[in-house]
Amino acid sequence: MSRKYVKIEGPYVESVPLVYKHKIPIQKTEQFWRGLAEGKIYATRCKKCGTVYFPPQADCPVDMSSEMEWVELPREGVLEAFTKVYARPQGFDDLEPYVIGIATLSNGVRVMGWVEPPDERCIKVGDAVEVGTKSVKDKYIIVLKLKKSCT
Amino acid sequence: MKKVAVIGVGQSVFGVRGDVTLQELAWEAVREALEDAGITQKDVDISVVGTVGTRGYELMPAQPVNDYVGMTPKGPTRVEMACATGLAALTVGYNFIASGNADVVLAIGVEKMNEVDTPTSLAVGGRAGNYLWEFHFYGTTMPAGYALYATVHMAKFGTTEEHMALVAVKNHYYGSLNPKAHFQHPVTVEEVLKSRPVAWPIKLLDSSPISDGAAAVVLASEDAVRRLKVDTPVWIAGIGYANDTPILTRRPDYVGYRATRLAAEMAYKRAGIAPQDVEVANVHDAFTIAEIIAYEDLGFVKKGEGAKLIAEGQTYAGGKVAVNIDGGLKAKGHPLGATGLGMVYELTKQLREEREGKRQAPLKRYVALAHNVAGVGHVAYVVVLRR
Repeated sequence: MSRKYVKIEGPYVESVPLVYKHKIPIQKTEQFWRGLAEGKIYATRCKKCGTVYFPPQADCPVDMSSEMEWVELPREGVLEAFTKVYARPQGFDDLEPYVIGIATLSNGVRVMGWVEPPDERCIKVGDAVEVGTKSVKDKYIIVLKLKKSCT
Repeated sequence: MKKVAVIGVGQSVFGVRGDVTLQELAWEAVREALEDAGITQKDVDISVVGTVGTRGYELMPAQPVNDYVGMTPKGPTRVEMACATGLAALTVGYNFIASGNADVVLAIGVEKMNEVDTPTSLAVGGRAGNYLWEFHFYGTTMPAGYALYATVHMAKFGTTEEHMALVAVKNHYYGSLNPKAHFQHPVTVEEVLKSRPVAWPIKLLDSSPISDGAAAVVLASEDAVRRLKVDTPVWIAGIGYANDTPILTRRPDYVGYRATRLAAEMAYKRAGIAPQDVEVANVHDAFTIAEIIAYEDLGFVKKGEGAKLIAEGQTYAGGKVAVNIDGGLKAKGHPLGATGLGMVYELTKQLREEREGKRQAPLKRYVALAHNVAGVGHVAYVVVLRR
């Protein structure tokens, strides 16, 4: 079928390039970042009201408290949602297509991670997963390993 | 609170606009809106520029835009709320008038997204969802965010890739009738299904394009409507808005968008209408699944029945409710800051019955609705318009 769309090209000049690279403070969440390297996933819990925060946060807006403690999250979960990312953004475009998933852990906390194996025809919402971490390029990420096998 | 009317609308041609700068593009819409209202810049009390600007080289884009279109010194306001920037700007303009601080407001929405390459544009979009806890680790993108909801909708309600393709077929059909649309060619279900995957199950032809564009809306108080002798004012009957957590893992479910449900509830209450009163709507179909979910969250049908509505063709003009009959984000295009005001542009034309043939929705109650979302349901604005 013939295509009709608006695409007007014209002469241009190039801008002065600008590169941003940020220093993101992790002082208040350092245990979470250390935990990933050890294969553990940490959340914070408010000592006053018991609310569990994942991703971890250092302050509890529910009762205005900053008295928090670290809790390790369970490893068993159920896949709630997933997608396989083919159009990768800058910073991930040198990797193979990956599957992003959201899992609900046995204590009700939800985590995001890459689902393994990355087979979108095999993965189903509701699949049981085991939660771990792995190193990708210069950082550790959470992985959601399918308990069933895909062949 | 004072009543507020739309008295002038303008929109540029959407698409890849390598022929113009941000300012020049904004002028195309501003000129048309001022001429449509029959006024000049002198009649405007204040302008509100809505632009996201994160892909641009001008880091304070409102000032160059205001200056170029003749709105200095009456343009001290810029609004940004990601993909919902357009209706956020409309809301700020509305409040200037409703509060009695202005009589005539010019809302300008403009975006240039094609001055950077596609991986950069995808990265900017993905980072806009939630950088630290999602993009940083997992390379989330906007299509991926919507695709997470798509897989759940498919699993829970039996929605299929074919259903989503039907939305693309409808919106491309209307794009083919709209000379200002980014895409002006029809597509078939088979073409959509065969297009390359972007974030499975979302494919290229399920996705709105990366567009450049501008739209402008002139708002006026009841006094100004009388003074300027406006023939057919279109009244803003109610505006609703809400936000949700940007951390997707903290959402209660993945079958719909809480922000849209709350915004719609507020807008319907303020306008004194029910969802079934809406005759023509522009909803935020950034991806085809988003239109199906919007049918449900806006209350056109019950949760889980969105796919059935498109399968029955009920959202074409003449159906239960005409949705995105300008092509929507999917075919008309999605130039962030311009998108929401582009909806108001279209719905104003619809309510004035200025469209021809199949492009005009049949109207009895003259009730229209615009629905603009930021991120993956991060923020939603719903505006009810009446003639």
